Amino acid sequence: MQHLPTPDLSDNSFLIIEDYEGMRGILRDLLARAGATRVSFAANAQAAMPLLERNTYDAILCDLHLGQGLNGQQILEEARHRQLLAPHTVWLMVSAEKTAEMVTGTVESRPDDYLVKPITETLLFTRLTRQMARKLALAPIEQAMRDREYLKALNLTEALLGQANPHAWDLKRLKADLALHTGNHAHAREVYLEALGQRDLPWAHLGLAKIHYLEGQFDDARRELELVTRGNRAYLEAHDWLARTLDRLGDLEGAQAVLGRALTTSPHAPLRQGQLGEIAYRRGELDMAADAFRRQVELARHTPLKSAEPYLWLSRANLARGNRDDALRALSELSIDMREDATARLLARAMEIPVRLRAGERDRAQALAAELAEDLKTQVHELPDEAILDLAMPLMDLGDKDTAATLLTSLVGNNHEHPEMLERAKAVFARAGLAEEGDELVARATRAAVESMNQGVKLAREGKLDEAIEFTREARARMPNNPRLLLNHAFLLIAWMEQYGRDVRVALEARSCIEAARRLKPGEKRAGELLTKLELVGNDFDG
Amino acid sequence: MGEDGTRLDISTFLLSSIHDMKNSMGVMAAYLQDALALDHTPGAPAATENGAREKTTQALYEAQRVTDHLIQLLAIYKIDQAFYPFDPQDHALTDLARETLARVADLARIKHIELDCDCGDDTYGWFDYELVFGVVVQALHNALRYARGRVMLRIQPHESGVRIRVEDDGPGYPDFLLAQGNGLNRGISFETGGTGLGLYFAGVVAGMHKGAGRTGALRLENGGPLGGGCFMLELP
Repeated sequence: MQHLPTPDLSDNSFLIIEDYEGMRGILRDLLARAGATRVSFAANAQAAMPLLERNTYDAILCDLHLGQGLNGQQILEEARHRQLLAPHTVWLMVSAEKTAEMVTGTVESRPDDYLVKPITETLLFTRLTRQMARKLALAPIEQAMRDREYLKALNLTEALLGQANPHAWDLKRLKADLALHTGNHAHAREVYLEALGQRDLPWAHLGLAKIHYLEGQFDDARRELELVTRGNRAYLEAHDWLARTLDRLGDLEGAQAVLGRALTTSPHAPLRQGQLGEIAYRRGELDMAADAFRRQVELARHTPLKSAEPYLWLSRANLARGNRDDALRALSELSIDMREDATARLLARAMEIPVRLRAGERDRAQALAAELAEDLKTQVHELPDEAILDLAMPLMDLGDKDTAATLLTSLVGNNHEHPEMLERAKAVFARAGLAEEGDELVARATRAAVESMNQGVKLAREGKLDEAIEFTREARARMPNNPRLLLNHAFLLIAWMEQYGRDVRVALEARSCIEAARRLKPGEKRAGELLTKLELVGNDFDG
Repeated sequence: MGEDGTRLDISTFLLSSIHDMKNSMGVMAAYLQDALALDHTPGAPAATENGAREKTTQALYEAQRVTDHLIQLLAIYKIDQAFYPFDPQDHALTDLARETLARVADLARIKHIELDCDCGDDTYGWFDYELVFGVVVQALHNALRYARGRVMLRIQPHESGVRIRVEDDGPGYPDFLLAQGNGLNRGISFETGGTGLGLYFAGVVAGMHKGAGRTGALRLENGGPLGGGCFMLELP
């Protein structure tokens, strides 16, 4: 074994995020021994963020615990989310012990490596040089993924796998994840199975489970996930998927228990708190639901994960348990925390309507409904489905059938393949004693959606591609959140480019459709396939 | 625990105390290391003659030994409660060799024990780094305690896994330890003053590594190239 030569870090730039001055000094001195002179410091997230925004660092040494404010894990997640890190930037998390988040969280939440204290020269230099070399080797793949050129990323991965290199397992995992992302389930499955033949890898079990889940094989997904979660509750991502799977299997109690377990290990995950809240709400455990949504609101408040949904759920859960004041408080927090977001502001005010009505403040509700009716109609496509269902009934009750019908027509148009949603829309009319009218509205809106799909396909088959695109484009304006319509429209746009050549604006339109569909229906296989087709249009890849 | 009004049990205090002690010992070790580094500074009065340096190094060794034990206790607790973030990955064997040797190099120097290593470049193994690091440092400390003049660390690929050997030229393991073999069966030994923690920990770590239809194994032997004790950890 060669003695490790001190690396030459004189060309590299570093950021040290550490609240304890003594430790900052130790890390700086260690780096100085390798010739590093470009070293910046931040004591907390507030100081670190502007530095990350303005500069590109080769490596970041970040302490996990930073006293008040965001911890190292949250800074990492925000920096990744906002793409503040270069593809080759190495993130080393410094901590007194190994934690589940650092090790078994999602790809987005895992640092490149972690250093468990005490930090010695040998430890720092071996990890730093190894990770810098690894990130540099994988940077072109990372860049392609950021450019959303997934096929290119896949090709680069295959090419690197063809050479002997120390990153083989990273590459295999990347390859499988990329195949999954581009809708090539068979290819992804092959890689996961091959890996499992050699080693008992949690990520490969998780990958197989995702494929089962996306293909609707929920029992198989559960079996695969339990292989990972049974032995260890530190595998957080597997717990989230298991809860989702149990939910689909109708086992809400089981799903709640799994999330509870994961939250004991790692309570600072807003999305997981939200998942727990929704399941508890559906089980009628309203206190638990309200607690979970409250925690989600608090955890996400100063992060990019902040959204209107948890506030609405918090208000909803409080309303359901008859707590008018807390229901209103959640809405007023929403209007303050997200004041820059017009839809959030509208929602914060509109959701007051059901609360006031339920509390017997009918005049107040009436006045609000009258004031907001126009805005609700014009911004109907921005409203979440649950909010539409919350609002439709009170609006009907207050005599504004017109606005209620507009909201529900939009809901049906976007969910014409969702029997449960259609039933809930009908129920609103039925409760108002207008069952027949409700059935008619739902039938009409469903028919319009189906006809839009068929007409687009028919025109395309007749070779009238331009007409077909005009048609689906107009349908999209009416039903902007219908995943099937979005994918059909993207399909036609791609077909058009296959015929007439690549066009930047058409490609952008197609991409925005595919991405919107993916947000509405995560993991949709057809979205991945279309993404691949889109990338291939007018592009020649070598090899 | 506690926050929701339930009664705190003794294990809660034990756990938080272990955490706290571990952190304090870590700080103490850092101070001792600083003290030793100062002694290297040119121009500073050398403490070597009066033996202060030796004493400091030994204090550092004791501090590190306690820290390592506390870390092992915490790990065993987490493994037992099924929330240790077990994270086997491919690691360069030279990294493991360098980092473990760096941990014990000072102690070997003051004890005048020659520390050798046999580890191929560009070889990799699949294991949980922190757990295996803990086991190897522990084995090295143990070997340094009994060795007369030489300790050898060998880390080599073995079948599809890794074989780690720590050999010394001391008197070797006592018969009862050899007879007990796997550390999992071992109880607390009042004869030797050892707690049995180290071997138990090594046994648990071996058992957690599974792959290619095999499980990791721990073996103690006497004899071998250096003629003393030989600690062996095989990972699939």
